[in-house]
Amino acid sequence: MSKGMRKYFKKKIFWFIITFVAAVILNFLLPRLMPGDPVNAIVGKNVSPGASPEQVQEQIAFYQHQFGLDKSIFGQFFDFVVNAFKGTFGVSYSQYPRTVADIIGSGIWWTLALQIPAILVGWLLGNLLGAVAAYRRGIWDKVLMPVSLFMSAIPAFGAAVILLVIFAVNLGWAPVNGAYDPGMIPAFNWNFISSVISHYQLPFWSIVLISIGGQAVGMRSMSIYELNADYVKYSRFLGIKDGKIVRYVFRNAMLPQVTGLAMSIGSSVGGALVAETIFSYPGLGTAMYNAIVSSDYPVISACTLIITLMVLIASFMLDIIYAFIDPRVKAAQFD
Amino acid sequence: MKKLLALVLALSLALSLVAVAGAEAPTDLPRNETMYFGGQQWGPAVGYNPLSSNMNNSMALASAPRGSRTIMFETLYMYNMLDGKLYPLLADGDYVWNDDLTEMTIAIKPAAKWNDGTPVTAEDVAATWDAAVAVKNGTYTGYNAYIASVEAVDGKVVIKAQLTEDGKPTNPLQFYNFLSATYIAQKAWLDTLLARNNNDAAAVLNDPANDVAYSGPYGPYVMNDQLVAFVRNDAYWGQDASMWGKLPVPKYIAHAIYADNDAALVAFKAGQIDVNQQFVANIQNLWEVEGLPIATYMDEAPYGICATMPTAWFNMEVPALQVKEVRKAIAMAVDYDQIIENAMTNQSPSFVQVPRSVMNPTDGEQAMYDHDAVKDLQFAGKDIEGAKALLDAAGIVDTDGDGYRELNGEKIALNACCPNGWTDWQAAMEIVAAAGQNIGLDITTNYPEWSIYQTVFTKASQTEYDIFMYSPAGAEPAAPWSRVRSFMSSDFLGVDNNWSGNFGHYKNDRIDEIIKTIPLTSDEAELKALYTEATQIYLDEVPSFSLMYRPEQFHAVNETVWTGYPEKDDGNNIPPSDCTDGYGIAALYNVSLVGE
Repeated sequence: MSKGMRKYFKKKIFWFIITFVAAVILNFLLPRLMPGDPVNAIVGKNVSPGASPEQVQEQIAFYQHQFGLDKSIFGQFFDFVVNAFKGTFGVSYSQYPRTVADIIGSGIWWTLALQIPAILVGWLLGNLLGAVAAYRRGIWDKVLMPVSLFMSAIPAFGAAVILLVIFAVNLGWAPVNGAYDPGMIPAFNWNFISSVISHYQLPFWSIVLISIGGQAVGMRSMSIYELNADYVKYSRFLGIKDGKIVRYVFRNAMLPQVTGLAMSIGSSVGGALVAETIFSYPGLGTAMYNAIVSSDYPVISACTLIITLMVLIASFMLDIIYAFIDPRVKAAQFD
Repeated sequence: MKKLLALVLALSLALSLVAVAGAEAPTDLPRNETMYFGGQQWGPAVGYNPLSSNMNNSMALASAPRGSRTIMFETLYMYNMLDGKLYPLLADGDYVWNDDLTEMTIAIKPAAKWNDGTPVTAEDVAATWDAAVAVKNGTYTGYNAYIASVEAVDGKVVIKAQLTEDGKPTNPLQFYNFLSATYIAQKAWLDTLLARNNNDAAAVLNDPANDVAYSGPYGPYVMNDQLVAFVRNDAYWGQDASMWGKLPVPKYIAHAIYADNDAALVAFKAGQIDVNQQFVANIQNLWEVEGLPIATYMDEAPYGICATMPTAWFNMEVPALQVKEVRKAIAMAVDYDQIIENAMTNQSPSFVQVPRSVMNPTDGEQAMYDHDAVKDLQFAGKDIEGAKALLDAAGIVDTDGDGYRELNGEKIALNACCPNGWTDWQAAMEIVAAAGQNIGLDITTNYPEWSIYQTVFTKASQTEYDIFMYSPAGAEPAAPWSRVRSFMSSDFLGVDNNWSGNFGHYKNDRIDEIIKTIPLTSDEAELKALYTEATQIYLDEVPSFSLMYRPEQFHAVNETVWTGYPEKDDGNNIPPSDCTDGYGIAALYNVSLVGE
């Protein structure tokens, strides 16, 4: 590793840590700045109508103590950091006495299994469409591009609701919600797996469809730019085959698209919120939505911390990869 | 690249399957043996601890005076809101009071057994109370002010009252709530629970109690992020002739966990939910227009039994609302028929059909006050001219010609609030605001999120919300006394986190006296006089005003799989309380499969 490279990595790691610390503080602080008193809501659900005011106060004090809310904000932050290091993230308020780690542990696999394939497929289809539209023009450029653009302009909840109404409610082709049939018990058998796959379709396509357009537009303009580049003209002049030229163009136009992919994978947990809520998918997005509605600070903080970490790691990895794959970055940073 | 993508895709799918496929033994639920419920369980359940209110397991643990859900744990009595009576469950026959209402004695059914085969005894009931006191749970919080002890004497349960200084019981009415709300737990299991948690209250209340003993007809089957399900205990004691004489029909009780009301409604319409507890606007359209096999307790509006009355409370800290005429004028001007038609889509009787009072519309409560004595006070709404005349007479007029009336030179501007997303309530508040505009009061609406709303309106003192909505006590054994108290008692003044009632902070000494007297009064004529007077004060002073009547639990059924649900005038006297609550659980013994 050259001296320049080491310096480059040191700088990147330094900023990574600074950003991370700032993010942890904000993750802790921001949810707690929301108005609303979570303990009051829990007690409101629990007290019997005849309860005397003194006894209600007893309950309030009990929960405040359980959640550590009777400590100063610094004490609470200390608890938060300790719990984060322990990996439990403390207890959830709305699902007390469940730990936050337990909630996240049961949701994150559903989210990743839904989001990552959907993002990859959307990205792949979008880039293919963009490249083909740029090169082939004709029907690809005049019909498919505008259609996919139109789809990407539909907000995520809109796409999900439209798919739900058409394919689940009206046509009955797909189940309306959940991750598998409500009467099923998770087990490693074909019945269960096929139920998971059929429940997977609508949320999956609702994410794919809206991401195609955005990717395609970027890829198309990058490709058109590259198609007009000198090296393409020169290659044509030399009589190099079309297929080979397209491969050159695709590789070069790809670079900025990789950034987009990494960022969307990084933010997949946050992006899961809409599709998951609409399809009652038991992932992290649903957990986060429920936590926000019920002022469940520890769950919100932990979810946002995960999102922050994923985005940070994605962009950090990107910096590193770029250093190797893009000669321009290499030239600018290492020397 | 493509190969890599395919690999990642396959791997993540496989991983997710492995992650969710635990080592759980139960098999899938056969549809024709399972009754699915909706609208009760939100978010995953935590455990089965009957002492705790932290389990979020609402199919197993929903204890309430208006009728506890007794599929897993049982109460001494079951409340029936149709006739206002308590029916014995674990108890054998009626309770017996001593002469001065300080002691109640209850026998236990000899047939009653725990799922481990041991009998349910008076000692179990006493131990349940002792454990509640030890860990200060909801039972303790709710009844400690009224119950001094629960003891086992000669095989019977003896409940002793807390006494006032002059030796009278503090409130015998609360005993009835206790009987219908308290799940009885097994003494042997309670001893284990307390011992394994070293008697630490927080640890006891957080114990998920997966080993708990239960006396009800169903036991735990599945609990995960998508589903809670219970399986019938075929050795259930209730098949004895002294109780039901048979087992409940569905083998499994299940509740899928939906993200929100919309998702649950879609599932209900698709026949994935059999019994649904959810407000559905224009519910009649589901069968009249969409032709679905969906039914309610009654074929015609209001479709259900309304037992509570969502109410608009006046904030007594707002100067304009301290003037009785302003309060009354607003209440008189509101178009209640429009609220009932638009907000409730006619799932409520009108205030002409059931004139307003402190009573809910059930026959039992309506008989408890003298209708003629309060006739002149029972405003039915939309009386714009009357309201204007009332304000004019009080000297509250528009002096500066801006179209709005002033009080002491200041324009009367008020907000009308309810939680955002509670659409029927929001529709009601729009109509209240319109009424204000019609009589020269500048009322505007404001809809904060529930997480904020609940913090503000339960404060000991607040000036953020002027007119705001919440419900008073509903149907329960201690009603309508508990409703009078929740409307007007000064017991709740000056306390933060007030969920008990009198949210507008009204004070009236005479009402406080009436609230103290009613529980100790057994003479029916005297009781009626007291309730009539309470109604007079409430309608004359207008510290709050009800906007609609409303079922406490919505009860709609999809008869794709099961049929034979309770219906009005079917002669069974089973209330539409979702086939599980209070005496409503009797429905589970009457249903049958469609086509059988």
